[in-house]
Amino acid sequence: MLNLRHKYVFLLPGLLVLLAIILFPLLFTIRVSFSSWDVVMPGLDWFGGRNYTRMWADGRFWEAMQRLVMVAVSSVALQYVLGFSLALLVWRNIRMKRFFRVLFLVPMMTTPVIMTVIWRTIFHESLGPLNNFIEMLGLPAVPWLSTASTAVISLVIVEVWQWTPFMFLLLLAGLLSLPREPFQAAAIDGAGPVRTFFNVTMPLMAPISIGALIIRLIEASKIMETVYVLTAGGPGTATETASYYIYIRGLREFQIGYAAALSVTYLVLMIIALTIIAKILARIMILKD
Amino acid sequence: MARIELKDVGHCYGPAGGRLEDYALQPFSHVWEDGGAYALLGPSGCGKTTFLNIISGLVHPTRGRVLFDGRDVTALATAQRNIAQVFQFPVIYKTKTVHDNLAFPLRCRNVEETEIRRRVQEVAALLNLESSLKKPARQLTADAKQLISLGRGLVREDVAAILLDEPLTVIDPQQKWLLRRKLKEINTALKQTMVYVTHDQNEAMTFADHVAVMDQGKVMQIGTPQELFECPQHTFVGWFIGSPAMNILPCTVAEGGVMIKDKKVPLPALAKAAATAAGALELGIRPEFVQISDTPGAGALGVDIREIENLGNYNIVMLDLDGLEIKAKISVGNPLPDRKAFIRLPEKSTHIYASGQRLNPGT
Repeated sequence: MLNLRHKYVFLLPGLLVLLAIILFPLLFTIRVSFSSWDVVMPGLDWFGGRNYTRMWADGRFWEAMQRLVMVAVSSVALQYVLGFSLALLVWRNIRMKRFFRVLFLVPMMTTPVIMTVIWRTIFHESLGPLNNFIEMLGLPAVPWLSTASTAVISLVIVEVWQWTPFMFLLLLAGLLSLPREPFQAAAIDGAGPVRTFFNVTMPLMAPISIGALIIRLIEASKIMETVYVLTAGGPGTATETASYYIYIRGLREFQIGYAAALSVTYLVLMIIALTIIAKILARIMILKD
Repeated sequence: MARIELKDVGHCYGPAGGRLEDYALQPFSHVWEDGGAYALLGPSGCGKTTFLNIISGLVHPTRGRVLFDGRDVTALATAQRNIAQVFQFPVIYKTKTVHDNLAFPLRCRNVEETEIRRRVQEVAALLNLESSLKKPARQLTADAKQLISLGRGLVREDVAAILLDEPLTVIDPQQKWLLRRKLKEINTALKQTMVYVTHDQNEAMTFADHVAVMDQGKVMQIGTPQELFECPQHTFVGWFIGSPAMNILPCTVAEGGVMIKDKKVPLPALAKAAATAAGALELGIRPEFVQISDTPGAGALGVDIREIENLGNYNIVMLDLDGLEIKAKISVGNPLPDRKAFIRLPEKSTHIYASGQRLNPGT
């Protein structure tokens, strides 16, 4: 008879590494979230669920969560629309195709922090070129980073600028992998560009679209550096997102226990939300055979 | 429905004005009569699909003109040519029902809804798709999807021609036969010009009235299945059509016939043409026409029987003529000699080729 215990011996090294890399930090965070670890009293004491009750009443955290949802969804939606449009433009043979492909990829290749510094300069109310340009058109200057609503819009603009190329790249790869026949058949049936897009291109692109949207939503919900550099969460708390707020509590105020409770909650909410979103997207866009 | 005329049509995928050898489709002229069933037959990469796409307008020919009923359509886009095409892989609109799939070409042309419903019903009845009209098209089987692709062509009453690009490749063998019969039925019922591209000789021969055999961008012969079988104009046609392929044996001119190795084959009618022809000579005869007996006689060639392959109701006999292999196809009932045999090559079924081209006995 085969001794089944052997297989566990062989699996053990891998399991241990996995445990150390993935599970330990997670379990440790959960444990820390039940302690009152802070800058005055560091240590793993037992604090019960008080961090969680405090979080429940912490309006600033829930506002940051809501804002995150808004920023992530709106910027990813814009990235999808713009990325898809650009991909459709360069998909068929046009002149200087290679040049455009490289140009579109520049934003993605630059470091977010550096690009955000540049954007902060562009948005600067009195020194920035953007307002100069707007005034040249005879319109009033916009206080880009100093009112709550415009600051959120600025944040979305930077996100869209930075990540549209990624969408573009994924969707372009998708378009290039599509079979030719459905398009030829549509041409023969007499469909114009709009009909072809909605009846052929979109259905064929649905699976890759869902993949691209989910990847970007996951990435976008982690938005942190851009907020940090562009507005530092301001004016007031107007542009604070969840991860930025956790950063403030954990690494500025050193309320490690409380920040851990926020992180755990954030993680659970994200897993639930993204699972539901993925399911819904798949149901809307992919048709079962 | 239209008469399709090709005038000196050729295509080169590289830059225009290149050498003629680079053409994917060598320039040629031909007429497809209105209502006929035609097949383009040839091995993969011989230019069949290019040819078809030139007719449908998906490819613009490097040279030559395409005429539908005498009207020059060379410059027209695909949609304006009003042709239907069925592709190798079933193409359906995944998000639509069978009914909406069939209605799509009419909706694109802004046909009235009542007229659309009437046409779709008619075509669905013809294709036996009535029961699944309300189903999403993506749920149907591959052969039903091919019928939908075909139906999208048939709903347009004024369609000039129906082009089929290897439509049975992904269909199960049993369904293949049914679908092929259906296609033939539709051709006879609607009198639509149909052009069928395939690399399968059985499909081409059973479907079409006229078959064009192509090789390396050249149209080698156009004729009825019978002509292609009995009288291949080129050794390629003899080799490509028929199972097993035609026996093609190198030969030299002799008095009143030809010599194969050092054995004389008497061919009095062909000898004169062979004597004046230029280029390497070959003798071609289909395995079906090779006669075997166990007694020598006038004009008989002595051979060794090397192998007998039983294929149900007939045998393929592999014969050895001084190192040359000859195949004969003999009905199972006929007795076969033991190891030594004598074959006769009847002149009316024997052809002489010079540099691959068939010699006409009259000249």
